[in-house]
Amino acid sequence: MCRPALLLASAFLSIAQAASAHHSPAMFNMAARTELKGVVREFQWTNPHSYIQLLVKDSAGTEVEWSLEMAAPSYLYNNGWRPSTVKPGQAITVTISPLNSGENGGLVWDVTTADGRKLGGGKP
Amino acid sequence: MKTIYLMTLFLLGNSLAVHAQTNSRTEAFAQLPDWRGVWIAEGFEPGISGFAETLGTPDAKPHPLVDPQAPWSEEGRKGLAAMFGNQAARKAAGWGFPMMMKGPAPLQFLITPEETLIVNIYQEVRHIYTDGRAHPPEEDRWVTTWGDSIGRWEGDTLVIDTISVREPVRFFQMSPPLSDRAHYVERLRMTAPDYIEGELTIEDAVSLTKPWVVKTAYRRTPNMDRLVQDTFDNDRSEVEDGAFTIAPAAP
Repeated sequence: MCRPALLLASAFLSIAQAASAHHSPAMFNMAARTELKGVVREFQWTNPHSYIQLLVKDSAGTEVEWSLEMAAPSYLYNNGWRPSTVKPGQAITVTISPLNSGENGGLVWDVTTADGRKLGGGKP
Repeated sequence: MKTIYLMTLFLLGNSLAVHAQTNSRTEAFAQLPDWRGVWIAEGFEPGISGFAETLGTPDAKPHPLVDPQAPWSEEGRKGLAAMFGNQAARKAAGWGFPMMMKGPAPLQFLITPEETLIVNIYQEVRHIYTDGRAHPPEEDRWVTTWGDSIGRWEGDTLVIDTISVREPVRFFQMSPPLSDRAHYVERLRMTAPDYIEGELTIEDAVSLTKPWVVKTAYRRTPNMDRLVQDTFDNDRSEVEDGAFTIAPAAP
């Protein structure tokens, strides 16, 4: 591959700084930010990634479940999160980069509680 | 009577020798820097997504260890292109070397006179022997994900010499396309109470045209007082149509 093409591939796929250790970010539309409002079914505080299972009403009013990926527990902990930070039944708003596949999933950038408190990105 | 006298002398001599050895090791410990705590590579402090927020934007920068501007040889450029084009090839249970030293995984330095251990949250451990030993001769060593490391203290600078690292991309796909013959030298020094900085110099006759120097730095995080390690008990990333996706959660 010639150098310009290589640079283009680099810019597009972006093996980014602070990439997760487990897989490439290419599965997500990283340039997009989508806001989801819903109710937490489950918060999985797990390796290699944590997940929020969020119940969201679609445009027809039907409740569908989204799988929202987050960093591993140690990374969340370093950002002030704990296993009890998000609880089942809690109403939250989440900003994500959605899956490229169009499936109901994405990568979490920040989380806001119903009373407007931002959980994502803060320190303890 | 003479036997008892000789035994007493022997025991006394032995005790003094052990005491002298203990004092000598205690003194050796006292001269070593104190790098306790949990450290994260500068510029990689992970947010809650685990990825840089600039990713996918014009401000996105490639990871410094896969920088297209590095002095790649033709072979290195081919390897880099293959790596960038192979996004769903491999999930890794860690970072491997050299990526673990330039990524967000929190790590610890455990320093003793004879050896320094570098350990991260993915149970990856580097053994850096600082007791003066050499690398094993070629017939006694083989390539591994973390290689063979020896080190020495130059004042308060830890100099680490690492060889026999298996091609990093074979463990973790998002790694520099270096060969098994690469030679890595790191220099690390604490320059402020919570700050270690240094550089990593890589020589590889296969993938590089000249030595490649990458700056490194680590900040002690005030948010963690220990490393918490765990297995990957909820691996929901799966390959679908050549790309990763998230497997559905259990009901």
